[in-house]
Amino acid sequence: MSRTSNRADGDIVRDFLSVADLLEEPQLAQVYAYLAREEETTVQEVMDELELAQGTAYSYVNRLVEAGIVEMTNDGQPRRYTAREIDLTVTDADGREYTITPALIDAVGRRETDGDVDTYIDRHGVAGLATALTYAVARERGETTHRLMADDLDISPLAAEIILQALRPVVHEYYEIEVSGASLDAIEDRNAADDA
Amino acid sequence: MNSLHIADTGLFVAMGEPSNSRYKAIRRFARRNDITFVLPERVYEELTADVSDNRSPPVDIAIDEEWAAVAAPLKFSQPIVSRTMDGIQRYIANADDRPADEVEQADPALAALAAQHLSIGEATEVYIYTTDIAAGEGAEVVLASEGYGDSVMFVNGFRLIEDLRSDNS
Repeated sequence: MSRTSNRADGDIVRDFLSVADLLEEPQLAQVYAYLAREEETTVQEVMDELELAQGTAYSYVNRLVEAGIVEMTNDGQPRRYTAREIDLTVTDADGREYTITPALIDAVGRRETDGDVDTYIDRHGVAGLATALTYAVARERGETTHRLMADDLDISPLAAEIILQALRPVVHEYYEIEVSGASLDAIEDRNAADDA
Repeated sequence: MNSLHIADTGLFVAMGEPSNSRYKAIRRFARRNDITFVLPERVYEELTADVSDNRSPPVDIAIDEEWAAVAAPLKFSQPIVSRTMDGIQRYIANADDRPADEVEQADPALAALAAQHLSIGEATEVYIYTTDIAAGEGAEVVLASEGYGDSVMFVNGFRLIEDLRSDNS
């Protein structure tokens, strides 16, 4: 496997192993993704937001801190935590290269709660999900369609549409996307005028 | 004045099962505005192709409930239909940065159906409901070049559902 990072070699290996853990454990990925979305967070907030037991939440946050991908931002109580940026390019066993970003880790974490994400990872792996995420960003920007994705990846258009919809919340969380299309009011005003 | 409401695959995937609040919100929207969503044949085929492989969106139930219907085959003998198909293929190819002949025929089918109805006067207003922004915006651009700029409205299926949900809360 190849990897790119600006930090020292020891850090790279440690980061890589901890990131690999994140992709294997959806709940851990969920915790990381939550910390990446929020500026600074307490364990209490993690527990409330993700509905985790206190022991579980502490254990996950501590593991992320030990792995060096989450850091404590104060010495007082309650302790506050923030996620460090991850941007790691890996090549999987099939030679497919993909980049591990907070958005991808968030997407992987959603397999806990979203059956469509879970099914897609079972069939296409995390590398496949990374590819789907790239299409999901392009689609929300009006740069591709679910049918082109289906053609490229040799999956059915329906399967493409389903995973694009499952990934849409991640895209809107991590990327700047403009609102497009008519509003409900515009449709109903115009439709009513037509019928008059 | 007649209006035509053309729906793409994504709208039916987004509304989920009939028990779902999104499905019910769309159905209420259709009924209160006297709308029947028309699906190009290719869209209906996409939604029903591999029922065993994926969860199947409830398009057949919507058809039974009479607020959705499958369109008759496109009339390619009308020059505007093939011109619109070509125009949308070029628009999407340009957006995606690939050759136009690689663009699937179902994307242009939405706008081509609109063009067919507008040109023979069967509709004076067309609404295109899709989750593929490139297909929706492409339809507005290409049909504007045919002189129907004021007659076509792209509706983003996600935005519609979000608007409907905040409307009802």
